[in-house]
Amino acid sequence: MASSVLWRTLGVAPIKLHMPALSPTMEEGTIISWLKKEGDPIAAGDPLCEIETDKATLTMDADDDGVMAKILVPGNTKNVRINELIALMVAEGEDHTQVDIPTETGTPSAAVDTPADAPVPTATENSSSSELSSMRHVAGGKGHVDLSPAVRYLVDSNGLDAATIVPTGPHGRLLKGSRRQEAVAPTTPSAPTPVAAPPPPPPPVTHPAVPPAAAEEDEFVDIPHTSMRRVIAKRLTQSKTTVPHAYSSIDCEMDSVLRLRKQLQGSGVKVSVNDFIIKAVGQALKTVPEVNAQWMGEAVQLLSNVDISVAVATDKGLITPIVTDVPSRGLQNISETVKELAGRARIGKLLPQEYQGGTFSVSNLGMFGISQFSAIINPPQSCIMAIGGSRVLVEPTEDGHTTKTVMTVTLCSDSRVVDDALASTFLENFKENLENPFKAALL
Amino acid sequence: MLSCAARLVRAQIQSKPTACWVVAARGYADIVDEATFTTNEYALHKLDEGPSQTVTVTRDDALKYYRQMQTIRRMETAAGNLYKSKVIRGFCHLYSGQEACAVGMEAALTPDDHVITAYRAHGWTYTRGVPPVNILAELTGRKTGCAKGKGGSMHMYGKNFYGGNGIVGAQVPLGAGIALALKYTGSNNVCVALYGDGAANQGQVFETYNMAKLWDLPVIFVCENNGYGMGTAVERASASTDYYTRGDYVPGIRADGMDVLAVREATRFAAEWCRSGKGPMLLEVATYRYHGHSMSDPGTTYRPREEIQEMRKTRDPITGLREKLISANIATAEEMKQIDLDVRAEIDKAVEQAKTDPELPVEEMYTDIFVDEPPFKVRGTNPFMYGMSK
Repeated sequence: MASSVLWRTLGVAPIKLHMPALSPTMEEGTIISWLKKEGDPIAAGDPLCEIETDKATLTMDADDDGVMAKILVPGNTKNVRINELIALMVAEGEDHTQVDIPTETGTPSAAVDTPADAPVPTATENSSSSELSSMRHVAGGKGHVDLSPAVRYLVDSNGLDAATIVPTGPHGRLLKGSRRQEAVAPTTPSAPTPVAAPPPPPPPVTHPAVPPAAAEEDEFVDIPHTSMRRVIAKRLTQSKTTVPHAYSSIDCEMDSVLRLRKQLQGSGVKVSVNDFIIKAVGQALKTVPEVNAQWMGEAVQLLSNVDISVAVATDKGLITPIVTDVPSRGLQNISETVKELAGRARIGKLLPQEYQGGTFSVSNLGMFGISQFSAIINPPQSCIMAIGGSRVLVEPTEDGHTTKTVMTVTLCSDSRVVDDALASTFLENFKENLENPFKAALL
Repeated sequence: MLSCAARLVRAQIQSKPTACWVVAARGYADIVDEATFTTNEYALHKLDEGPSQTVTVTRDDALKYYRQMQTIRRMETAAGNLYKSKVIRGFCHLYSGQEACAVGMEAALTPDDHVITAYRAHGWTYTRGVPPVNILAELTGRKTGCAKGKGGSMHMYGKNFYGGNGIVGAQVPLGAGIALALKYTGSNNVCVALYGDGAANQGQVFETYNMAKLWDLPVIFVCENNGYGMGTAVERASASTDYYTRGDYVPGIRADGMDVLAVREATRFAAEWCRSGKGPMLLEVATYRYHGHSMSDPGTTYRPREEIQEMRKTRDPITGLREKLISANIATAEEMKQIDLDVRAEIDKAVEQAKTDPELPVEEMYTDIFVDEPPFKVRGTNPFMYGMSK
């Protein structure tokens, strides 16, 4: 006989209305208002509700004739996902108050197990993704790794095995960046702390820094990076690119220092010009404590101790052992300390705490004949002082001329902490200390 | 049983107040086997006589047309819903409202005649013999689709059915070519080449008219005029909206595209004209589409909603046929209701299958390139990927 509808003794089978995807990019939308109330008759083509999508406000139209039975998601609801059940209709002539409200409300796309079992046309559309296939995902696996041409070139030219590299791209694809994860392994030593100086590898890993047996007639030679060089490179780059460097230079008359040095030598005390400079810096830092500071995330941290990192050139690279608490040390003490530290640095026997830390750096290239240079700050310190060599200047006077020995000093500072004005003050102080060593020592 | 009958009658009365006494009094003995109707007038161009306004239909045929139109309507609705739940992606152009064109024309043709149409092709794919489940599976991209899931909405094919063509108006010259082949091979068949009111202004269409008339090709040009080319109304697009006259030296007929019997009669007339070797004929069917141009077009920004409602109420082809049949006693309302329910169940089942059937495996990407060629290596999407064609 006629329709199965008539034989149902339970409620009336509903026509389910789901949230439509009204644009191809729509994932969810807002139901602004319902244009039909429960019990209203609906003709095919009638607007049912207004839906706001990611692009525009559109209406959802009815496909069939019927009667609106139950509105499950009321108007003014935001973030309704597509395919969510939003209302129920019944066919024309049915009693809308008797409609069977299905128990599966909410996002059917979440409860995706058996799409084909439901007797009523369900909205488990996204379940079809479980059948998804072959056509949709083509990414790796099964030994055949899909590589883009750029990645394939890198893999082949470096002799790597693509299967051993951890993929970091979407769908398990290898990217140029994921290749590097494999290559990083042994280099950086365990120093993720805020390191002041580039730390050498604690057990000196003897990478044979020998030009590899490159072919006889090559136009170039590759020197593989030692771990120390790698670290130095990383830190230098990080410093130069993230810290705003400011540079100020000043000329200091070195005559007093040189005279004093000769005198001390005569008494059997051997000190170098560098030691005077370190002492002068230490005193200047006590006078202008704002320079003995570090840029932290939320504040500028003024440090109470003055520890100066002295740059030492070794054949493995530049190292900066630290002379702690400089203002409390005498010249001789400083001299001995620096000599001892430098000696150990050159043979790679510095302890970590002897090169990690420091509040200020001094780098002297005067002995190599450099007249003036700029250096790169070692973060998190805020300054490094670049000392040049001394030169003799001739000055005319009323009755002839005099000579004086002058040295150019360049202060490279983090201009967030030590701006040009502060640097000038500091340099004035430093010059004062250096040109009047007695005054500095006594006061 | 009695209470059920009473509920049935009450239901019918609620939906059709004017016919209630007819329903209550009817028994199956009153049903006639054939009925005659009068169609609207046809407009003629360069023709002395046109199709007959008096049309006769048998009961079987009538119910068949009804069922076919209802199937197309439900199938398109289902496709629209699948699209809105993102199971179908890409393009989807729905035929709702134009069912009478496909069904009526198919009624006057034989399966040995050939048909080629544009992208609004789901209805034609069905009337050309592809079951709805294969059409829906093609839309959802599954193996069981009529083009193995490789074509989608705009590239569906069947026997003597050439799709499904995306480029506007491109299928018209192809249709004339098919007709040339039919004439050349001496068959008695015709080719029907359909296009829309928007495509009617394309240059190649007029080049085709010329060649078809010059060589007397057995091609019926059909302009499915639904009033809008995407969003442009015909008055704003064409200097002459009498598309049946646009063939100039090709004789033309305009028929009411919402009346399946009128369409059938006009197509019969045109097919006879072509089969007798008198050359091409142009048939304009004035129809209407309820949905927008495609699924990305809501369809209400260039025409008032009331217009769509009006068409649905007064000129819907399915409702129109139903009323005709009931009033002529050719079929009962219950029968038609039963057909409605059967069709709905069939389409629902097809939708389920279309959602769950498996997709093609990746190897199929390399097949169906040439006909009758031994397997060869085919490059994939990058220079490192290869597959074998079958």
